[in-house]
Amino acid sequence: MARKIVSTGRGGAGKSTFVALVSKYLKPPTLLVDLDPDLSLADMIGFDFRREGKKTLCEALYDVIEKRKSNISPTITTHELMESLLWSDCLYEGKKMDLISLGTKFTEGCLCAPDELLRKAIPKLAKNYANMLVDSPAGVEHLNRNIASDIDDLFVLCDPSDKSLKHIARIKEIIKQVGISYGHFYLVANHECTEEAEGYLQNTGETYLGKIDYDARLEQYNLEGKSLLELPEGSAASLSVRGILTKAGYQIGS
Amino acid sequence: MSTGRGGAGKSTFVALASRYLHPPKLLIDLDPDESLAGMLGIDLKGKGVKTISGALYDVIEENKGAGRTGYNLLSEVPQAVLYRGTGLDFIALGTKFTVGCYCAPDAVLKDFIPTLVKDYDEVLVDSPAGLEHFNRKVVVDIDDLFVVLDPSEKSIKHIERVKNITRELKVGYSHLYLIGNYRFTGETEEYLRSAGEAYLGKIDYDPNVKRYNLEGRSLLELPEDSPAALSVERILVKAGYMITDGSLTGESRQKTARS
Repeated sequence: MARKIVSTGRGGAGKSTFVALVSKYLKPPTLLVDLDPDLSLADMIGFDFRREGKKTLCEALYDVIEKRKSNISPTITTHELMESLLWSDCLYEGKKMDLISLGTKFTEGCLCAPDELLRKAIPKLAKNYANMLVDSPAGVEHLNRNIASDIDDLFVLCDPSDKSLKHIARIKEIIKQVGISYGHFYLVANHECTEEAEGYLQNTGETYLGKIDYDARLEQYNLEGKSLLELPEGSAASLSVRGILTKAGYQIGS
Repeated sequence: MSTGRGGAGKSTFVALASRYLHPPKLLIDLDPDESLAGMLGIDLKGKGVKTISGALYDVIEENKGAGRTGYNLLSEVPQAVLYRGTGLDFIALGTKFTVGCYCAPDAVLKDFIPTLVKDYDEVLVDSPAGLEHFNRKVVVDIDDLFVVLDPSEKSIKHIERVKNITRELKVGYSHLYLIGNYRFTGETEEYLRSAGEAYLGKIDYDPNVKRYNLEGRSLLELPEDSPAALSVERILVKAGYMITDGSLTGESRQKTARS
């Protein structure tokens, strides 16, 4: 069973950046799961779903629903069909890691259906990987939905604001009430945090692992849409993430 | 309505814009992470006001065993959720602490909004990060949609997604405006100017905003010469708003747009 690692936090705290950088250091095979309907993790690691002929979960699901409308006597349920499509159409197999993306939905209604599919599939998917790394949408709703419930390491990305501190308390309460289990609860500061802000994080009573240093090159890559997997090994942000993972007890090869 | 990717500055924009809009005005926080109240110095608990989620699950809890469930309870929710301030009222979706999505609290708010908005000149909605709030069509009939952006390629793609999703779902708006956050430079602003939408300018860097956010102070107390507040004033004027002077007394004054 894969180690389940989840990155969460307020909007813009740096969840996806953290996931992209962490992915380089994990022992393969690694599966990345992008729960954000704004679909940015794929862009950040240079995965092009269209080019590979792959679909996001939302695309596959709503294609199936459309097809069923014209099929008079379907012999298989949407859910059963989706279970197989998840592997054949939605699993993007990269060289060093695989990716499943929730994707954007263009019909009315919430994302409960695709989220639920993914929630059920995650334990099965996890069996095939050494590490499963989940990138969350901003905010708290994914926690209420209990999509990844059995977490090993939960990383909370923090920006320098009082709102971050309130956010930490809030998600701890949701996690407790909803019944999500985790092995470790880690705080990580983003590059905007000053020493003073880091002080606040150190005093929350949670395990604070350090901050991701400012990295001009990373900003440039994000602006140009270049893959963060191509960031040089010595870049400031990469080195910070490496240090953070080492503190969390991860074995990192050279 | 203000929308955008996580961390772009949606709530900051809403908090600052609220200074310049004519009362009576209503602010709606759609983000279950409920940070807008703190940014406006509003203490819901202290005033005995509940969030929509809080009130909803209290009503459900109280009626367990009473044989009433679901939607017929929802009409009882709105009474306890409106915070009344001076010239500025406030309502928040709020966090829930039970398993499941925010469809129910969103639905309550959606039903409530049309009645609610009649009492105000201006209604300002702060969205949660991302796009799902559009899918849920919580607010459908928007006059001005402000998309607050950070300098990344993801932002440019986000604009496209917002346009697609609002079109597909028939979320109507009269204007779509782009706003850059303080991290834009002269060079990166070009991306927004050439995005094919009305770009209204950027919110200038303001160390006080950072400080106030870190200390949990109300952004309404920012000095009147705050660069961030002045940028928002400029942006609203460009969008054709008749604005107040931004002070807490809210004297009216007309400004003309500088082109």
